[in-house]
Amino acid sequence: METIQYLMNGFAIAFQWHNILFALVGVIIGTAVGVLPGIGPMSGVALLIPVTATLTSGLPVEMAATSSIILLAGVYYGAMYGGSTTSILLNTPGESSSVVTTLDGYQMARQGRAGAALSIAAIGSFVAGIVSLIGLVLLARPLSKIAINFGPAEYFSLMLLGLAAVSGLAGKSITKALIMTVLGLLLGSIGIDAVSGIARFTYDQPVLFSGIEFLTVAVGLFALGEVFKTIFEKDGSDEPIAKITRILPTKQDLKDSAAPIGRGSLLGFFLGVLPGAGATLASFFAYITEKKISKNPESFGKGNIAGVASPESANNAASGGAMIPLLTLGIPGSGTTAILMGAFVMYNIQPGPLLFEEHPQVAWGLIASMFLGNLMLLILNMPLVRVFAKIIQTPKKYLLPIIIAISIFGVYAVQYTTFDLLVLLACGVLGYYFAKNDFPVAPLVLALVLGPMIENNMRRALTISNGEFSIFVEKPLSLVFLVVAFLWICIPLVLKLRGKNVIINEEG
Amino acid sequence: MNLKFDRMASIVFLALGILVVVESQKISTSAYGSQIGPSTFPIGLGIILIILSIFLFIETIKHKATYKIVGEEEDIKSPNYKRFFIIFIAALGYVLLLEKLGYLITTFAFLVIGFQTLEKGKWVPTIIIAATFSAFIYYGFVNVLGGSLPGLPFL
Repeated sequence: METIQYLMNGFAIAFQWHNILFALVGVIIGTAVGVLPGIGPMSGVALLIPVTATLTSGLPVEMAATSSIILLAGVYYGAMYGGSTTSILLNTPGESSSVVTTLDGYQMARQGRAGAALSIAAIGSFVAGIVSLIGLVLLARPLSKIAINFGPAEYFSLMLLGLAAVSGLAGKSITKALIMTVLGLLLGSIGIDAVSGIARFTYDQPVLFSGIEFLTVAVGLFALGEVFKTIFEKDGSDEPIAKITRILPTKQDLKDSAAPIGRGSLLGFFLGVLPGAGATLASFFAYITEKKISKNPESFGKGNIAGVASPESANNAASGGAMIPLLTLGIPGSGTTAILMGAFVMYNIQPGPLLFEEHPQVAWGLIASMFLGNLMLLILNMPLVRVFAKIIQTPKKYLLPIIIAISIFGVYAVQYTTFDLLVLLACGVLGYYFAKNDFPVAPLVLALVLGPMIENNMRRALTISNGEFSIFVEKPLSLVFLVVAFLWICIPLVLKLRGKNVIINEEG
Repeated sequence: MNLKFDRMASIVFLALGILVVVESQKISTSAYGSQIGPSTFPIGLGIILIILSIFLFIETIKHKATYKIVGEEEDIKSPNYKRFFIIFIAALGYVLLLEKLGYLITTFAFLVIGFQTLEKGKWVPTIIIAATFSAFIYYGFVNVLGGSLPGLPFL
């Protein structure tokens, strides 16, 4: 019952007028981010951090943190709603978690059922959002109660598991993913060592003392990398945008999609909780499951509404599920949650088991606002779908330079150094070449955020054990985490060796 | 996938790994007598990076057949490369001059160059959009939100 009391307090915070406004702005920007092919949820959230930091600068720290995180999380799940719009209308996914939606969604649009597909996607996303939030509410306190007993050894192994999970699923080659992870960890070790106060790899350059800022790297690799990629690509042929005639789905549509929405939500939620799996993988699994259990699987790919309902529910449920490891354990399981974690840290609030004890208003305010935000998205998306569809038509010649300018503004407004801007441009070029050659960049960003935490926990554990590395396998929970991490890397390798296709997660 | 890039990358990462291990030796040891100092973690990472880059190099040899050996290499002189170079140089200039010339002038100039590089002509919308964007961000951020950006150089 205590949980309900906390949740009610959370709603009291979420219903403060400025927080309602923040959630609204967040979900609207999120939908736009999801619709625009150039920006994904990851760069969208990263770019808004400086804006929210300035917006909330007048408030006390805890309130400022709550409001900022409410807006940033809104961008994250809002993008999951928006991603379906381009998939259905244009046959080009706005972000990777909506790739499978194109299969049936675009076919439906060609049959003149675009409106039904869009509204089912919105309804499915809403149901899934609520399901995953209920899961979050129920699991948050029990999980953080378990996590509070973790020592440094357990934390070290758990974070290693997080990195292994993201790397194992991140790209075509695990070697490349692991290289990127190590690179991120190394970048994270630049600067003054937090334990001993000794400068590492700084070569007496004052700008390096505080380390390489993760925001700069993330925006460079993701936002600029994507822009550079589009500049290199030849101008795509403009496919005609399908017309939206009728917005509300028919009774038959609703009946056909109810069960897929339920299955997609549950599947997505559980995949989202797992570190590394994320929204893209969830939508793929949901689509495959629907096709397998369907009575007439041949109708998939020809405009079956279940092929839209299930993956769209799954990706939204996964984004809600991904908040669980972040909030309760303090470990981000994906690129976007890594950036959200960076935002928490910026306000000196450490996500993790103590979050619910020390900052209940931040944690529960965020959870309550997500209920509100999902409702707003449902209401907004039904009538405004035509308006959002217009955003797709923004010409690239204006969009690309403006994204570059926003990235430069975003980084400068937080860091105020030309050095960071140069790092930003360099990361943009690197991001383009890395992505082009199948070096996944998400593990690098995640490793950069987790690096200092991993190192601190490792050193604390080793101090406890007098330098004996065996402490990591002697503690039972730590051993379990390490074994799972090992399996996570090895099982896809074995499957690949046997010539099986392994689904990979290309989302940030 | 690009065989040349992967092979070069494996050599670069190998060199980086060795460099990290060598440079980590120079990190001064901490005062209290624990053998786990500030250099332990980077040295470990450097060694892992060396091993992984050797793996990658072996992969490029073993899977030579699976890499597409096609003349897909983009020509340096292709129009897309030219576009990219102009925009990149413009962004570099933007970044370097931002603090000297102020936000408004540099942003406006960068956007005009960017828009015109991607599609020549249509000067009126170009100038209107570039000017509106620079002014909107500057005044919105500085005057409404109370942030700070370098202003005009002569004021």
